Amino acid sequence: MSATALHPEVGVSDEKQAAAKSAGRRFGALVVRLGAIAAFAAIMAYFVIFAPGFTSTFNLINVVEQSAILGVLAYGMTAVIIGGGSDVTEGGIDLSIAANMGLCAAVYATLLSMGYGDLLSVLAAIAVGMAVGALNALAVVGLGILPLLATLAVLNVAAGMELTLTQNTVVGASSPLLGLLVSGSFLGISALAWALIVFSAIVIAVIHGTAFGLRLYAVGGHPEAARAAGLSVPFYVSFTYVLSGFCAAVASILTVSRLSASTPGSGELLLSVLAAALLGTVFSRRFVPTMGGTLLSVLFIGLLANGFQLLNVSSYWVNGVQGALILLVVAITSFARGSEGSR
Amino acid sequence: MSVSANDNSTKVSVRGFLAKYSVLIAFAAIVVFFAVASPTFLTPANLFNVLVNNVVMLAIVALGLTIVISSGGIDLSVGVSVDVASMVFVMLLAGGYSGVAGVAGGLGAALIVGILNAILITRLNISPFLATLGVLFIGQSTQQLATSGGQPIYLTSGYASDQFNAIARTALFGVPTPVIVLIVLAIAVHVLLHRSVFGRYVQAMGAQPGVAWYSGIRVPRELSMVHVLCALLAGVTGILLSATVKSYVPLSGNAFLLDAIGATFIGTTLSRERKPSVVGTLLGVLLLAIVKNGLLLVGWNFYWQQVGIGVLVFLVLAASFGLRRAAH
Repeated sequence: MSATALHPEVGVSDEKQAAAKSAGRRFGALVVRLGAIAAFAAIMAYFVIFAPGFTSTFNLINVVEQSAILGVLAYGMTAVIIGGGSDVTEGGIDLSIAANMGLCAAVYATLLSMGYGDLLSVLAAIAVGMAVGALNALAVVGLGILPLLATLAVLNVAAGMELTLTQNTVVGASSPLLGLLVSGSFLGISALAWALIVFSAIVIAVIHGTAFGLRLYAVGGHPEAARAAGLSVPFYVSFTYVLSGFCAAVASILTVSRLSASTPGSGELLLSVLAAALLGTVFSRRFVPTMGGTLLSVLFIGLLANGFQLLNVSSYWVNGVQGALILLVVAITSFARGSEGSR
Repeated sequence: MSVSANDNSTKVSVRGFLAKYSVLIAFAAIVVFFAVASPTFLTPANLFNVLVNNVVMLAIVALGLTIVISSGGIDLSVGVSVDVASMVFVMLLAGGYSGVAGVAGGLGAALIVGILNAILITRLNISPFLATLGVLFIGQSTQQLATSGGQPIYLTSGYASDQFNAIARTALFGVPTPVIVLIVLAIAVHVLLHRSVFGRYVQAMGAQPGVAWYSGIRVPRELSMVHVLCALLAGVTGILLSATVKSYVPLSGNAFLLDAIGATFIGTTLSRERKPSVVGTLLGVLLLAIVKNGLLLVGWNFYWQQVGIGVLVFLVLAASFGLRRAAH
């Protein structure tokens, strides 16, 4: 609950005190942020020492490969949260992203199995993904529906269309592109891992290295100020939803290559995607969503699952530990932000 | 605001009317459509089936979410409350305990989930979305660990089955017990939310959290109550679910989450300020249930139902939000 934020009348004599307080709080926030990162590091160190084969190149590349799908999806979600603001009930969120990936995967695999070539199938998957994103954008920006609700409705549409297309079955797929993604490698790093590396580099460069990305943060952080500064808020917000759809399409191609098929049940990824995008904020100095932070938390989630596997801990623990970590990180974060309006 | 040009205001009020009643209009249109398209739709037997199988359990979960969403929060862990109540209830019956002990144990388990949410949100200052997301993950792990990876527990005969039947297969004055439970709970939540001091506090916290705090409302206490009530209501659904299907299937409660959120928010389109209400939520649940049932009767398979529901919810939201935006 933000209480003191509503007190504008701080006396002049209090100014010094307030400055000291805010410096103290900043220091506290730094300690907390380092603490959270140290907790992550401690878990990693534990795995390094006790989990056999954890640090082997083979294993680490395996983790990066496994993280590729979650990572690409989490970038889409992060973009939506950046552009829509991070208030979870009213701000930007794309609940349809995982279902959209399932639909794109179904379209891609079905077209391949019908004998169409890679180029057409990939283009179709991307078109479908971006069309679903555009539908979200229309609902949120054009009609003014709350993102949480609009994307919930679109989730149902996308999931239902996937089911009608595949009749809830596994659609096997193979093609030169899939073959390349599965078995290709360059400099000893597999193609799937490269996909995540390249995609990450592009996304980080665009969002954190260009004026466009900065404007996106402005739109999400303070829409009125952004509008007053002459930015087209609807354009930027729409862009994030379409980008999210594009990410879903890219992830769908990765998932089809990993499983050599499109399989039902991709919607289950949604919660992990949300967790990755939200957990990533702890890696930023002002606790805002960033692409780099998202990447780190995606890798962290991947390493966590992998470490447990190597230690022969039941995989049933992974979700619980992930949940506990989210709570820990967020509790610490809100403590560090104190009363600075972290509701 | 009300002093606008005359010719303009009539047009605006027509739009406002359409926006306000878009759910009711959609509801009526859908009932008429299915009544014409399928001869069995309007038969008492079918409507009874819809009520018992599609409405009751979802509605009780949605009542809980209505309270939480009124307070400005959200509870993503309702599925966990449904599941743990179901799990403890079935496990106690399997262990030979009485039905009363089973129900008490199940509700107790849901209560624990509610208290956990309340502590995370009010003591540790975690936003409701993230707190309940964390609890959802933990709840899923807990169930998997408790059931060696998600093995269902079936109790289809013998002592436990009789206890289940006592809940799900009995009736009072011809009304099945689960329906009576829903009616009682709906009236109770309506009174609590719209006719009591607690309800005023909840609405105030949802509208203006800062002002609620300054007005002397004990926000942490009321908010804890909100989350405990929501978890308990979801727990009731868990018990009804187990009693109906005579089993506990791990991780099945999550299926209610998105539908219940959808129903509650469809209900909010009834009010100008988009406030959730018990009547609106029940209407939302009915709308979803009737569409599911109607699409089945006119021969759409299960997969197309989901598309149909998504499109319908989308159109209702678009009508309500879009028309209201145009009216301003």
